[in-house]
Amino acid sequence: MSTDTIKSVARYFVSITIVLVFVFPIAWFGLTSIKPVSAVFNKDRVVVFDFQPTFDNYRVTILGGKKSDTKADSGILMGTSGEGAYDGRGSIVSSLIIAVCSTILATSISLLAAYALSRLAFRGSQGYMHWILSQRFLPPIAIIIPLVFIFRDLGLRDTHFGIIIAHTLINIPIALLILKSFFDDVPREVDQAAMIDGATRFQCFYMVVLPMVKGGVAATAVLCFIFSWTEFLLSLFLTNSIRTIPVKITTFVTSTGSEWGYISALGTAAIIPGFIFILLVQNHLVRGLTMGAIKD
Amino acid sequence: MASVKVSNLEKAYGAIKVLHQLDLEVEEGKFVVLLGPSGCGKSTLLRMIAGLESVTGGDILFDDTRVNDVHVKDRNIAMVFQNYALYAHMSVRKNMAFSMRLKKIDKKTQDEKVKWASSILGLDDYLDRLPKELSGGQRQRVAMGRAIVRDPDVFLFDEPLSNLDAKLRVQMRTEIKDLHQRLKTTTVYVTHDQIEAMTMADEVVIMRDGYIEQSGTPMEVYDKPNNLFVAQFIGSPTMNTLECQVAEENGLLYAALDNIRLPLPTDRNLQVGQALFYGIRPEHLQVSKISPNTNGATTESPLTGSVKVVEPTGPETHLYLKLSDRDICAITRDRIEIQPGDEIYLQPDLSHVHLFDRETKQAI
Repeated sequence: MSTDTIKSVARYFVSITIVLVFVFPIAWFGLTSIKPVSAVFNKDRVVVFDFQPTFDNYRVTILGGKKSDTKADSGILMGTSGEGAYDGRGSIVSSLIIAVCSTILATSISLLAAYALSRLAFRGSQGYMHWILSQRFLPPIAIIIPLVFIFRDLGLRDTHFGIIIAHTLINIPIALLILKSFFDDVPREVDQAAMIDGATRFQCFYMVVLPMVKGGVAATAVLCFIFSWTEFLLSLFLTNSIRTIPVKITTFVTSTGSEWGYISALGTAAIIPGFIFILLVQNHLVRGLTMGAIKD
Repeated sequence: MASVKVSNLEKAYGAIKVLHQLDLEVEEGKFVVLLGPSGCGKSTLLRMIAGLESVTGGDILFDDTRVNDVHVKDRNIAMVFQNYALYAHMSVRKNMAFSMRLKKIDKKTQDEKVKWASSILGLDDYLDRLPKELSGGQRQRVAMGRAIVRDPDVFLFDEPLSNLDAKLRVQMRTEIKDLHQRLKTTTVYVTHDQIEAMTMADEVVIMRDGYIEQSGTPMEVYDKPNNLFVAQFIGSPTMNTLECQVAEENGLLYAALDNIRLPLPTDRNLQVGQALFYGIRPEHLQVSKISPNTNGATTESPLTGSVKVVEPTGPETHLYLKLSDRDICAITRDRIEIQPGDEIYLQPDLSHVHLFDRETKQAI
């Protein structure tokens, strides 16, 4: 075997191993979601593929089926919560509302702010970016207590709107940082050319520069969505009845045991919206959009 | 079309002054080139005329109307940038029609104008392409097309050819000049390339450190530079300038360079002992392999230089020589056989000798 062949085999081996390491938890999670309880909990051996697939976990968590109807074959009874405690439909809707709204809000606000920070000179514009970013220096747990009190006093606690605002606030600094770098990549001459052509500053923004940073906007929106979709701490503290998916899943860990089947079913289902969202915007996830505007 | 007048114009960034009380007049329909080295303030001046930079002091007038406080979008100017600054997400057609779209001009007129511009610029086949699908020269043409469809009062060019390769630059240079001759729009063009300035301008304005050093027609600034800077900046290869001192022998003045005697024109007011720069353009140094004395042309002792490098360019040959221990250049159109190391005779054309005071660096 020549050195080149050995090298290429080794390269494939290493890359496949790395992919397996990353894919394994998700695959195992997905596999668990279609296992009967007897296969999830088996004292004698680890059940990998030799089980009778069941969609009971999905039926209960995302289709609103009753838990009592699905226990016939398991022989193991776990969890003490009542009927409907494992119905994840409400939390899927809540998570969707919160993630979509906070993504739109955070991205829109950051877009305008990032354009201003990139293009306009104003007093303190240098330190402004750092000041906004510093909001993210504190760990969220440090601000949770005051936030709970403020939200309670404002009547925002346990409302969708409240969580949307909280997630928007957390997302803005990162969104701003990313979008500003995209705006900085578009040469100022493009704005100036548009203004010479008769555009107002706002027309420059939405007719010329914004379409040139579409890729950046899509990337930012994906990040904001994923953050909001998976955020746990704020959602836990700021809500009682509204349960986002991450918070809902924790309720499947009960005093008498963990419902691994339900946890993995709702968890697997929760991957799907984010996945669809990324598929929708991935065409725009390219940085090369400003290509051609200037001499490369 | 409009004339442009700049009077007492100043620009400062904080305490740093970059333009010092500039006065400039661009007549209607003229092509004026602002020329100078990097950092001389030429682009700043252009951007102030465009309205992209604020004015610290003085006035900018379009047709005697003060435009200092008129917003850039209302000045009816068109500008072509060095990096083209095209709208990358729009087709060539949309790039060109953008200004008309903003003015809500009807679609038919827009199409007609775009067609007119594209036929002038040879872009007919590219109207539906995106800028990224075009070559550098085509992109620059789109930028010009975007400018001409607007029928502007003033055309501003900010080093538009700097990003193009040498051949394309020469071609675009001719195209821009041709375009100006056809449209006759008042044009201000910024460049650091003196060949561009010489070939395109009706008037060249040479700037340095925020001051205007000289302005005039290309041949005026070439033939009669006001000072040493202009003399050395204009012309390629650059003018030979030798540090000399005026001396006298038998009532005849000459410039002494070490033990070499350089002949001086008799129409200048010179004092013995005066320190000066002796300037002579390479093409005004006559070159020969035979001593001028032998054929009785002159009684002066001839200048001799030893050839270091010979650069034939085709129509002429550039010779880089050592005269005493100074490096000088001479250009000859004669096809004489010269090799590095040869000693050759040089004779300055006295009607083209430029003298500059050593201290003030001003022409004498």
